[in-house]
Amino acid sequence: MTPKNRLIAVLNKEKADRAPCICPGGMMNMITEPLMEKADVFLPDAHTDSEKMAQLALSAYENGCFENAGVPFCMTVEAENMGASADLGNRHIEPRVTKYVMDSVDEIDKLTAFDVTKGRAKVVLDAIKIIKNKAPDLPVIGNITGPVSTASSLIEPMVFYRQLRKKKDEAHAFMSFVTDGLVNFALAQVEAGADIIAISDPSGTGEILGPKYFEEFAVQYINRIVDAVKAKNAHVIVHICGHMNAVYAQMNDIRADALSFDSVVPMKEARANLPDRVLMGNVSTYTLEFGSPEKVALLTRECMKNGSDILAPACGLGMRSPLVNTQAILKGIINE
Amino acid sequence: MEKELLFQKISDSVVEMEDELVEELCEKSLEMGIDASETINKGLIHGMDRVSVLYEEQEYFLPEVLTASFALNAGIDILKPHIKGESTDKHIKVVIGVVEGDTHDIGKNLVKIMSESASFEVYDLGRDVPLADFVAKAEEVNADFICMSTLMTTTMAGMRAVIDDLKAKNIRDKYKILIGGGPISQKFADEIGADAYAVDAASAVRKMKEMAHA
Repeated sequence: MTPKNRLIAVLNKEKADRAPCICPGGMMNMITEPLMEKADVFLPDAHTDSEKMAQLALSAYENGCFENAGVPFCMTVEAENMGASADLGNRHIEPRVTKYVMDSVDEIDKLTAFDVTKGRAKVVLDAIKIIKNKAPDLPVIGNITGPVSTASSLIEPMVFYRQLRKKKDEAHAFMSFVTDGLVNFALAQVEAGADIIAISDPSGTGEILGPKYFEEFAVQYINRIVDAVKAKNAHVIVHICGHMNAVYAQMNDIRADALSFDSVVPMKEARANLPDRVLMGNVSTYTLEFGSPEKVALLTRECMKNGSDILAPACGLGMRSPLVNTQAILKGIINE
Repeated sequence: MEKELLFQKISDSVVEMEDELVEELCEKSLEMGIDASETINKGLIHGMDRVSVLYEEQEYFLPEVLTASFALNAGIDILKPHIKGESTDKHIKVVIGVVEGDTHDIGKNLVKIMSESASFEVYDLGRDVPLADFVAKAEEVNADFICMSTLMTTTMAGMRAVIDDLKAKNIRDKYKILIGGGPISQKFADEIGADAYAVDAASAVRKMKEMAHA
């Protein structure tokens, strides 16, 4: 099977020759310094240049790490597009938002509507087209920063979380506006050739919000993106950070093809609570950066045994993760 | 209204996150001539302590804790100018921040809020804090605790660097080091020689109280 056929089969709950090994990109960063050296393309340059972005994304596959290409390499494209300022970091530090747009959730008029033809959103779309052209058998994963994470990149998060209670209606209007933008960006990525959209929402977790707000402000808006993407016949993976024990029921309401978790979530527990879902993960990125390849392979086989369908790092890769470790998930699957 | 009943109502209003009611009741306490620091301790802080318990029991989450702390601070703003004399309690002094390279500060902010509610003196360095700043600030304010947090595996190593720096300067024992955040564990705390690991904000405050009184 080609990597693309294999991954799509697993997402469709069909039979595959073996488990796929991927790293979606976006928040789930797939790029490391050794890969930059191999490709001779470095961050932050590749954040703003579609050729370089495509080349770097492909290097993870070309060097035997993951069976996909995923862009972008950060979670600031969306907020920047809607008016926030971002610092693009360097080869060790990922981009981050440096200036918010709003002081209160009722200031939507300060935001810019998402425009896929401008800035780094366009760089991402062009990179997807380039990857698609160069590697038609490789699944291309486009990434979307989740609604709560994008919203809390446009306004100071402490104000945002408080106003979910205090200004509920205005908060929903704000979330709706943000989600409309994210839907546009996701559909443009599908249009450009992305086979799969991965949505990561590290600021919108059950652990942070609690079950009630997780359902109301994370799940509901994530599903709007999921439904829009699936209507275009593309697939969706959703990654939620943190502990899940308070929100498995709500998690099961997310209509994505696969659900992905942090390494703090025991795969066995996730499998027991979500018996009918395709699960992805969750090899510790700490072990990937600081452990040995043998330990990574061992964790990989543990994840498989405990019910993971798609093997992947549990979070974004640390930039300094050694190449032998980054290659060890795939090796662990093949040598199983 | 009885004084004790008023305290109970203030405490309840903090738990119920009713900032306007808290303000109203605190004004009333002043009209009744009740000592401001007594109202703070037996009303406002009492309420926030209950919020901490609810948070630990996963009845309350971040939005509730933030809204309750907002109500608490609304009350403190009214009462503070009326506190008579200097408090003789020795405050626990805490330097806190998110280590360099990481901007995830939700957990750190929760620890800050709960520490302040427990009357600690908190020096918040913010997020993405250059490692040298932790030691420099602790030295400057003569802190009891240095609290470091990160949500990213990539920046965990910075915590070890701060502890190593303290050792190199021969001042490691002047401070207790508490660490926390998503990827952090007791095992990691032991490995790098931190004094304690806290799984959440409520336990961070409890551990600091225990260590300060040990």
